[in-house]
Amino acid sequence: MEYGFTTAAYVVAAVLFILSLGGLSGQESAKRAVWYGIVGMALAVFATLVGPGSGLWLLSILLIAGGGAIGYQLATRVQMTQMPELVAAMHSLVGLAAVFVGLIAHIELGRVMAMGAEEKQALDGFAKLLAKKSSVEISILRVELFLGIFIGAVTFTGSVVAYGKLAGKLTSAATKLPGGHMLNAGAAALSLIALIWYFNTGGFFPLFLMTLAALFIGYHLIMGIGGADMPVVVSMLNSYSGWAAAAIGFSLGNDLLIVVGALVGSSGAILSYIMCKAMNRSFVSVILGGFGGSTGPAMEVEGEQVAIDADGVATALEEADSVIIIPGYGMAVAQAQQNVAELTRRLRAKGKEVRFAIHPVAGRLPGHMNVLLAEAKVPYDIVMEMDEINEDFPETDVAIVIGSNDIVNPAAQEDPNSPIAGMPVLECWKAKQVFVSKRGQGTGYSGIENPLFFKENTRMFYGDAKASLDQLLTMIQ
Amino acid sequence: MKIGTPKEVITGEARVAMTPESARQLQKLGYDCAIESGAGLLAGFSDATYEEAGVEVIKTAAALWKASDIIAKVRQPNEAELKRLNKAKTLISFFNPGGNEEGLELAKAKGANVVAMEMVPRISRAQKMDALSSMANIAGYRAVIEAGNNFGRFFTGQITAAGKVPPAKVLVVGAGVAGLAAIGTSTSLGAITLAFDVRPEVAEQVESMGAEFVYLDFEEEQADGASSGGYASVSSPEFREAQLAKFRELAPEVDIVITTALIPNREAPELWTEDMVQAMKPGSVIVDLAAEKGGNCKLTVMDEKIVTENGVTIIGYTDFPSRMAAQSSTLYATNIRHMMTDLTPEKDGQINHDMEDDVIRGATVTHQGEITFPPPPPKVQAIAAKPKEVVPELTPEEKRAEEVAAFKAQTKQQVTLLAVGGALLLLVGLVAPASFMQHFIVFVLSVFIGFQVIWGVAHSLHTPLMAVTNAISSIIILGALMQIGSGSFLVILLAALSVFMAGINIFGGFLVTRRMLAMFQKS
Repeated sequence: MEYGFTTAAYVVAAVLFILSLGGLSGQESAKRAVWYGIVGMALAVFATLVGPGSGLWLLSILLIAGGGAIGYQLATRVQMTQMPELVAAMHSLVGLAAVFVGLIAHIELGRVMAMGAEEKQALDGFAKLLAKKSSVEISILRVELFLGIFIGAVTFTGSVVAYGKLAGKLTSAATKLPGGHMLNAGAAALSLIALIWYFNTGGFFPLFLMTLAALFIGYHLIMGIGGADMPVVVSMLNSYSGWAAAAIGFSLGNDLLIVVGALVGSSGAILSYIMCKAMNRSFVSVILGGFGGSTGPAMEVEGEQVAIDADGVATALEEADSVIIIPGYGMAVAQAQQNVAELTRRLRAKGKEVRFAIHPVAGRLPGHMNVLLAEAKVPYDIVMEMDEINEDFPETDVAIVIGSNDIVNPAAQEDPNSPIAGMPVLECWKAKQVFVSKRGQGTGYSGIENPLFFKENTRMFYGDAKASLDQLLTMIQ
Repeated sequence: MKIGTPKEVITGEARVAMTPESARQLQKLGYDCAIESGAGLLAGFSDATYEEAGVEVIKTAAALWKASDIIAKVRQPNEAELKRLNKAKTLISFFNPGGNEEGLELAKAKGANVVAMEMVPRISRAQKMDALSSMANIAGYRAVIEAGNNFGRFFTGQITAAGKVPPAKVLVVGAGVAGLAAIGTSTSLGAITLAFDVRPEVAEQVESMGAEFVYLDFEEEQADGASSGGYASVSSPEFREAQLAKFRELAPEVDIVITTALIPNREAPELWTEDMVQAMKPGSVIVDLAAEKGGNCKLTVMDEKIVTENGVTIIGYTDFPSRMAAQSSTLYATNIRHMMTDLTPEKDGQINHDMEDDVIRGATVTHQGEITFPPPPPKVQAIAAKPKEVVPELTPEEKRAEEVAAFKAQTKQQVTLLAVGGALLLLVGLVAPASFMQHFIVFVLSVFIGFQVIWGVAHSLHTPLMAVTNAISSIIILGALMQIGSGSFLVILLAALSVFMAGINIFGGFLVTRRMLAMFQKS
């Protein structure tokens, strides 16, 4: 098959991928968009298989099928609450694949360079491409594959750590090895030295050294980022996996890889930016881990948390005309989305206005809450973004906070010394009455005291979110 | 331990410190309850209802004081009552510790612990036992009712077949608990209600109750009430003048004046002077809730109702809560019960007089033979609300200037970025070979497209977006596929692994996205 066909297929695939991402602007068009992506991917793989340079296509197809079977199992079995872990785990695969592909390119480069002119004539595919390169191009190629391996390695360990944190296998708190950022800086400096070394000699050792350093950076960087920042981390790793693909695309001279890598890279970068903005934090401070130091003692929280039982909540809900529900990670942990949806259905059946307020960083993944609510068949047109609904709280009778904490913390607005000062929050305390479903009296993920719980119009509905709602549902028919 | 409540000895006091309902709650804390026969009669609780609630009815006061370990009552105890105390007894009641030195000394000599209900600190945690507030609430309500009783017209304006009735105009001076309660009652009866307070920050509360706040034309920063525990402080003479001038202006218009202005540990300030009374219309009513501390109006006679020469009625009753004994007893008994709850953390019927607790420490005036009044300031201060910074309204010109400036800044930023980016590109182009630059153009354009496209993605679809980008980032499979055919075993192995992993990713990513998107449904 001719080279022209492959390129044409790549162009079509690139367009399909762009349409696929663009289609995500709306819920309805998104369903179509996925098909664009699938077709684009199939086309790209097919074109590469029949195109120049590939061999062992039977083995390739078998491997894809095998991977596909595992992927299928994963995708159908995963709970919607485990989405963050799944996404992180899959990023690690991309990262590792990028490292391998980069290494192969290095091996091939060495092999081709060792050949004589006649042998080079006999080559085809990728090796032929390499053989044609001038010395400047080969230097650039080295930089490219070096970058590809570096980013891929960071993505790999970073994603593994992120997966561990999200799945609860590692402590979610920010932990650093002694030396902190100096270790990262040291590893980065080492990688830079390795780059120069590799650039000049083309040996395997500097590449290996850099891979180790990058693996360490990925591990240590993500270990140092606290649980509440996880949405940023996941989208950041997403971005990295894209850049890794783009760098590999450069070294292989494959435009489709470059296009898709750039698309994915910029998409992840934008998501990270949106998340950071939602938390009023600079990207750098998130990456460097932990909350910035506060400038003074935090405001004393005064008052006490007043508890309420299911009966009291049920009565208040019966009397309310408008209700806003604010879900958070706690709802995901307790798997309470079905109960929340059932409660919503029953209240709506009584003619009450029920809406959901979603903070951009609620949950552990951008848009996490939307997916959970969608799973429980909550209609998406009553699920609102923070900016859409924040002004409606004063006219709302009841606000129910289910398993969220920092995103409804009034200290962000009232206490300039609070670590989250200035972060946009859902102003649920302006509602006439607030119920907080919470497991116990402790502070949230970030360990910041929440004055909301002490407000006069706040009642604490203690207990596991799912059990509490179960109890509540028996009282609301 | 046993909690006992005697009959109040002061004549005219109808309240009682324990109700059958509060007794039931106290028993849940592990206490036995006792009451003097007939103590609740004036508040509408007969001995029989107490007995029904499991309360022991004791015939005489002496026997009750003897039998009880804890005595809960309403009014400040007299000498005879205090003499009945001993080391093992705890007394909970109003005590007026500031003006009752003999009482303190006597209690100290007897060694009894005394908890004064008016000393409960004004912090949120202690609100449930703040008897001053609950009594003030009743006083405020009752003040309006008494005023209405002595006022010859409707509160609400009406247009009837028999003619038009103008609405009554009520002025409430001092918007504390009593003042706010009076405002609420008065507005709900339909009167036009004005309210004044020296603390400007309460204007919002006043307006939320439906009254109009009377502002003074006066430029002085008033001390924030929150810094003095929510009470008003003494104001400057100039401020006072401005205030009186305003009242003089209002006097001929208003029909009913309710004054509630008190400053802690001081004589009540004179706010409604004689000439204002003269200026009022005949038939107007003044209710002076500060009568006990000398009155906000100097004509007020404590505990009496007088009518001035020009026909203005001045009410100086000090027993408003007692006039609604059933309500006030219920609330007071609940305050006492909450105090007992705090004193009994274990719910075992034993008092744990924890002097480390801010609320208990604050309210205790004698403890184990020591006078512990006045208390140290509470550790937890009321949060002083920060004054709001007023953002000046921008004129259209300023707005436009701002927009222009913002636009210019944006243009500048973009131009700088483009210039720097362009320069960098040129630099790269100088060194890099053409084949690299071709790919580089593709890369830069793709990044641009990516940025443009992703901004349009709906917030709610961010998780599917991540899944989809994850799936398509396994395009890295192309690299592996291109290499798998050429070269050594190591290359094949690594490439095969990559293909395998990318395969997982492609299928997993797309399937999971489809699963998610299929869930989004419109209502």
